[in-house]
Amino acid sequence: MKRSVSRRDFLQLAGAVGGSTAVYRAAIALALMPAITHAAKPQLAALTRSRKVLILGGGISGLTAAYELNRKGYEVQVLEASFRAGGRNMTVRNGDRIDETGYPQVCNFDKDPDLYFNCGPARIPGHHKALLNYCKELDVELEPFINDNRNAWVQDDAMFGGKPVRAREYMTDSRGFVAELMSKSMTPEQFSASMTKEDYERLREYLKYLGSLDPGFKYAGSSNAGLALHDYTSPEVLKTPLDGRELLKSRFMAIMSFGETDDQAAMMMEPVGGMDRVPAGFLRKIGHLVQLESQVQKIQVMERGVEVTYRRDGQYIKTRADYVLNCIPMHLLAGIEHNFPKEYAAGLTAIPRGKLFKIGFQMKERFWEKEGIYGGISWTLQDIQQLWYPAHGINRQKGVMLGAYTFDPNAGEKFARLAPAERFKLAIAQGEKIHPGYGSYVESGVSIAWHQMNHMLGCAAQWDEELWKKWFKTLQTPVGNHYLMGDQVSYHPGWQEGAMASAHHAIADIDARERAGAVVAA
Amino acid sequence: MNHALRKSMGRIAVAIAAALVAGSAGAGNNFDYCLLCHGASANGNFGIRAPKISGMEPWYLARQLENFATGVRGIPADDVSGHEMGPVGSRVKTEGTLDAAVQFVGTLESKRPATTVRGDTAHGKELYKTCVACHGAKGEGSQALQAPALAARSDWYLATQLANYKLGLRGADERDTYGAQMRAIATTLADEKAITDVVAYINTLK
Repeated sequence: MKRSVSRRDFLQLAGAVGGSTAVYRAAIALALMPAITHAAKPQLAALTRSRKVLILGGGISGLTAAYELNRKGYEVQVLEASFRAGGRNMTVRNGDRIDETGYPQVCNFDKDPDLYFNCGPARIPGHHKALLNYCKELDVELEPFINDNRNAWVQDDAMFGGKPVRAREYMTDSRGFVAELMSKSMTPEQFSASMTKEDYERLREYLKYLGSLDPGFKYAGSSNAGLALHDYTSPEVLKTPLDGRELLKSRFMAIMSFGETDDQAAMMMEPVGGMDRVPAGFLRKIGHLVQLESQVQKIQVMERGVEVTYRRDGQYIKTRADYVLNCIPMHLLAGIEHNFPKEYAAGLTAIPRGKLFKIGFQMKERFWEKEGIYGGISWTLQDIQQLWYPAHGINRQKGVMLGAYTFDPNAGEKFARLAPAERFKLAIAQGEKIHPGYGSYVESGVSIAWHQMNHMLGCAAQWDEELWKKWFKTLQTPVGNHYLMGDQVSYHPGWQEGAMASAHHAIADIDARERAGAVVAA
Repeated sequence: MNHALRKSMGRIAVAIAAALVAGSAGAGNNFDYCLLCHGASANGNFGIRAPKISGMEPWYLARQLENFATGVRGIPADDVSGHEMGPVGSRVKTEGTLDAAVQFVGTLESKRPATTVRGDTAHGKELYKTCVACHGAKGEGSQALQAPALAARSDWYLATQLANYKLGLRGADERDTYGAQMRAIATTLADEKAITDVVAYINTLK
């Protein structure tokens, strides 16, 4: 017999299974709460007179602006300093150059559509609407990206003598341990009067589900932690819970919820064949507007328009435009000759640059799949921090996996100082703690020290609350007809969505000025 | 998606990639990457703590590149900017382009950098007396003594290097004979104020 489930029942169920995020999401789906809103892509007016826009930098924000402005009749030229377009959206395959200032490298992966490495952005969450819309518009095919895998490993020298445990085991057993402790120590008297006896019981009930506790509120293991043996011809045998106090010795607790955060939660996507299919999509439309190997040396904001001098083949070339959209990383822009106001110039050196570091290894065998790991991330508290397993090419012979992805600037610097071969050696030694025999699978590697990459010298700008308050408006506001752009001028640095938002913001402003001008002219 | 389709997509991808990438760029005698850190015409970029190197003496540039390449400079844990220059030193050394890099810097248009360090120039003048013997009364330097010019350099960089000498982040390597001399002198500067004062005085030298 069917019983219809009321909305309230459903939300309670969702809460028990998935926590408050699930309740929130479900409430949106049931139209009880307003849906997430997005800044709309600006609808530019078609241009009625000639306007030249010079875009400095062919990364995601520059290409976005070039694509939109070109469609509306603006005369657009993109000057890109590097030998390639795309900015930090960079995928390497067989034969590709990695243009690091001190240690230039060449990618020696086999020639194969699945053997590539995304050096910069590598995943797209479902709410990054601007990027997802461009993927659709530009025929960039997407496939699922696995960001969170409970079968992957957690390794920390601080617990179990450095022996790795499965993520599902860490999470389930530590939650069980904490939930049992809380339910044992919690008494109704501890809560304020507004909490009724029923509320208190519901809270205990919540803890029971949260920690997979038994009816006596004891944690005695759970299949969520994985079975001791997956033999389905005999009764299930649970694993013995790991020592809770030992689990809490690990700072993994700070990373544990990574796969639940706003930008990192399922369902995530990646372009088929590599993240650089995104710039390739733009370039199919406006590639002819992009001039490579043109390094800007001087910017003069004039009363009308902007004058730019760039260096190409050792020659200095001067050019002028009505508008300049400048995507050059701020810390590099500070070294370019300019006539910006003092306050604006000071902002350029005020935001620290990111120092993220990545390694990609071509493995002769997808050994992780033999361990039941298909996609996702293993975490370690060592320098390498993460190992990623590719979600594409499952069951094929070889794969390119991520062998290091550091968030800590000190770890990034530690790797960056080493020559590539030494970087690999260090990453392999650390990877061995997670996968014994790891190094024996490595066929070739690439390393990306973003703060030493030519034309970049940094990853995402490291804004914080105070810096945002002090500098953001100054840097976002145009100086004459000169606009600063890129993910660096967004509240979402380090994401392509942030870069696109900054581009939309700048071109909407130009559009407004042009419309106003058109009215005046009329 | 079937494998054949994927393969052909891969080929298209490669073709596009090839179209995107300019032909000639790269190794050899293209030193534009120096300007990336050291700024337009290598007149310095405080934003990434890269000093002005245009107008520097070729013999001094060559020696420092050599020092970075061999780890005489840029090794101590706290010398973060030095860490970034280390790999570049190794690069020009292994590529055999060290001299060409020095030559390239010599082609750039050197401009007097903006003043960023201010202090008590009278006190600085007193302190500078110790420097005169090697670096000259006008901060013009002396090749014979292997002492570089100090006038018209990035002033914040001079201050950083004096602090680095004092802290042993520079000049502590036993192979660094000139650095050791400089380190001995720098330790006579009592404190940060002494450093800013002497640099403020150097700023007045023409």
